[in-house]
Amino acid sequence: MPDALVNWLFAAPAIPNDVGGKYVAGAYIVFVVLLLVYVAIMGMKLARIERGLRDVAEIAEQRKDGAAAASTVRAEVKS
Amino acid sequence: MYGKGLRPLSIATPVAFAITLSLVFFYAPIEADQGFLQKIFYLHVPLAIVSLVGFIVGGIFAILHLRRDDARYDAYSYVSIHISVIFAVGALITGSIWAKGSWGHWWVWNEPTLVSFLIVFLLYATYYPFRYAIEDRQRQARYASVFAITAGAFVPLNFMAVRLSASLVHPRVFATAEGGLPGSMMITFLCSIASMALLWTTLVKFELSAKSAQGQLKRLRRALDAPTGPPSSRIAPEVH
Repeated sequence: MPDALVNWLFAAPAIPNDVGGKYVAGAYIVFVVLLLVYVAIMGMKLARIERGLRDVAEIAEQRKDGAAAASTVRAEVKS
Repeated sequence: MYGKGLRPLSIATPVAFAITLSLVFFYAPIEADQGFLQKIFYLHVPLAIVSLVGFIVGGIFAILHLRRDDARYDAYSYVSIHISVIFAVGALITGSIWAKGSWGHWWVWNEPTLVSFLIVFLLYATYYPFRYAIEDRQRQARYASVFAITAGAFVPLNFMAVRLSASLVHPRVFATAEGGLPGSMMITFLCSIASMALLWTTLVKFELSAKSAQGQLKRLRRALDAPTGPPSSRIAPEVH
């Protein structure tokens, strides 16, 4: 870890500058990091679902356009 | 359907955590013996308790799955265990940090509380390869439910065995009739447990809604005869 970051951490006024403070900060940081990793993984999963939905919507729209064009052709042939 | 109640939970959880952290750092007194280091207690113990209760909840859902033959309960059981394993990782790491600060060691192998929790964690860590080893989805769900029930029953038994054993260095929470904690610490501790339980519930709901969205997308692809896209996880149950 860069010295500047270590110095900043130890200079943080909310953390008592004794042995306990370091460990308490470490434990709470671990908890936050775990949560962030989980949120990041879920974010990636949701992005994949969104991509899939976009693909499916495109396929549905293409089929709708295709069906509309076919019915127009049929109507022209009848008339 | 799975997202029902997710919105109030998503609001309640950070609010509960803000209140709890305020209580931990501004209300609960500094403990005489360990000093500021004892603040880890309000994180480590709720993580451990909620993960153990989560394992039992996973077992209860597994019973419902076997009784009602409803795949939804397999998904509930899977997600409960999944989130509880993450919480257990948190409990192990924060406990290890606390141990280093308090006892001077990252881990004490002859302490029953630590080793028993590690055994429970390792037991549930085998849940994923166990599911992965079975290809047929229905058999996988049934066997996973049997695993979840057996392991879920092991959790309280293990807890009682540890309680009956002699502790070397690890303190026992609620060890005396008064709970072993002064009022202000007890209120803070109960708030910590409530916040952690709320977080667990929110994450379970969140995971279930994501799985449900994935399942609905698959259904939509099938209905449109569209390419099925990238293969989904072989161990996670399908949720519709």
